Amino acid sequence: MNINLTLAENGMFLPLTQLFVYDGSFKNGWLVIVHRIFDCELLQLITMRGNYAVNAVETARLGKYYGKSRGIIDVSMAVRDGEIFGFIGPNGAGKTTTIRLLLGLIKPSSGEAKIFGRRVPLSGGKLYRRVGYVPAEISYYPEMTGRDLLEYAAGFYAVSNFQWVEELVDRLQLDPDKKVRTYSHGNLKKVGIIQALLHKPQLLILDEPGSGLDPLIRLEMFKIIEEMNQKGVTIFFSTHVLEEVERICHRVAMIKEGSLIHVGPVDQLPGRDIRLIILKFAGRKPSTVAMEKLGEVEELPSRPGYYQVLSHLPVNELVNYLSRFNLDYLRITDPSLEEIFFDLYEPSTGGGNNHYA
Amino acid sequence: MLNGNISSMEINLNRRSLLIWTFIVVVVILVYLGSFTFMEEPEFVEMIEGYPDMLTSGLGMSPEMFDDVNLYHGGLVLLYVLLLASIYAMMLAGGLVTRDVDLGTVEFLYTRPFPRNVILLSKVFSFLVMMTLLWITAYLASIAIGLMWVAPGDFDVYDQFMAHLMGYLACLAAGGIAFAVSPLLNRVQGSTSLAIGLGFAFFLLNSLASMYEQLEFLKYLSIHYYADLTGAAGGEPFITGIIVMPVVFVAGIVIGTIFLNRKEFTA
Repeated sequence: MNINLTLAENGMFLPLTQLFVYDGSFKNGWLVIVHRIFDCELLQLITMRGNYAVNAVETARLGKYYGKSRGIIDVSMAVRDGEIFGFIGPNGAGKTTTIRLLLGLIKPSSGEAKIFGRRVPLSGGKLYRRVGYVPAEISYYPEMTGRDLLEYAAGFYAVSNFQWVEELVDRLQLDPDKKVRTYSHGNLKKVGIIQALLHKPQLLILDEPGSGLDPLIRLEMFKIIEEMNQKGVTIFFSTHVLEEVERICHRVAMIKEGSLIHVGPVDQLPGRDIRLIILKFAGRKPSTVAMEKLGEVEELPSRPGYYQVLSHLPVNELVNYLSRFNLDYLRITDPSLEEIFFDLYEPSTGGGNNHYA
Repeated sequence: MLNGNISSMEINLNRRSLLIWTFIVVVVILVYLGSFTFMEEPEFVEMIEGYPDMLTSGLGMSPEMFDDVNLYHGGLVLLYVLLLASIYAMMLAGGLVTRDVDLGTVEFLYTRPFPRNVILLSKVFSFLVMMTLLWITAYLASIAIGLMWVAPGDFDVYDQFMAHLMGYLACLAAGGIAFAVSPLLNRVQGSTSLAIGLGFAFFLLNSLASMYEQLEFLKYLSIHYYADLTGAAGGEPFITGIIVMPVVFVAGIVIGTIFLNRKEFTA
């Protein structure tokens, strides 16, 4: 068994496979390594306890092409055990392709993906006993009821205690006795979330879990995810909604046009300082020079007389600056992920460093 | 090797189609076998004798069939039962594999903690159960109609068992072919079309091989040749067929497993 270790204190990546041949296991904070040299003689039994963590998810130069079409390019990242890792990017950036590679639904064109230190096989296997997955687009057998489907999913893991399932059903307000074909998109999503959680996985892979859920249920879902994370479950969370990432994630990877463009703590997320401003001037539009500090002002094609600008000014400075103008209408909001990406990264500039631990 | 959870769910999901096809097969047996008393009338036999040999052999008929209820049932009734059942077998086997891709349930099923070959074998097991149920029902219906109504005393239970067994094995072979091909398809519609096309192709190939001496080699491509229902109903089952058909079934599953293990489930 290969284990790659990340020393949590300094974030140093330590690939033990390069140091010596070993068999190892990681349980309850104890790392046990049977240390061998030349793969023949048992020399030493090493036990360690400390801030060591096996990476729950790891990709190394992972690439996927569909014929000549780009899926993802050379993606390297590591999701540490026990963290909530956001994976964000606009639609078509390669989030779902990455997730499908992690789940062994497609095979990589280059590189490799690992889950809990084990290389992801194409044909599935026992590895997925510890994984729960919520797909972005949920489809189930239409003739089954929600309860049938949850019992079916529970059967794969020999789940016998349904108390946890019932609790999830209650908290997400699902009526499990209706046929799947009668479920709305939101109810399908609820079933998807419950079936992913019912076996209490150690790694939860969520692809756009909030889409289709009403705001209250979405809040409850995030609460459940945070509770599971507090119990040690690693969350790999894909979304294109910035707010969701900021709400629960510890670290974030940004992907654009198949390449990673940023990985880091959520408070260092590029574009957090950007504000989307929509305004209408009471009189004539001031000159471009007068508004230069605000940013590039563009008239909204759908609303003549209304202008839009993405501004990097700090909030107080922005308010002071805007007070100079005679305005008829003003709205300041957070920009969408697409708007941030467009503002920060010109299309087709690609990603520079694509390797992140 | 098997996951009972998947097998039982597949049987549950396909029970309605099994009931419908079993009902159709029983109706065909009831109508055709029930008509034997009319068909053994001398006028009807004379009419058949008046047809060109090429035509009667192409349709799987011979004048002797109308004298012997066992040959009639095995050679004619079960021929059409096999045509229907083999189409159903291929539709079922193909649908078992392609439905998850078509419906989008791949992400539900193929991310579970067992390899794809376990999923396929579990589906194959449900296919076996359903085919067994269909042919047992067909056999029981034949016995009930043949023994109790059409020809009490003449209807040979053992020979008919062998004829039904050959039909069952032919359906397994047909299912094996569908299991081999269906991982290459992404739509149930595609596997259904293939099942109907192949089902009729097998029938026609065997008919053509019977009609034209130059085309006799085509019989080797048809499951009807290996099933040799007339021979089995006449007390001489085709031993080569008994060996070939299960081999085709197993080979189909092996090929299907290889294809499925290499298949990429793109969105």
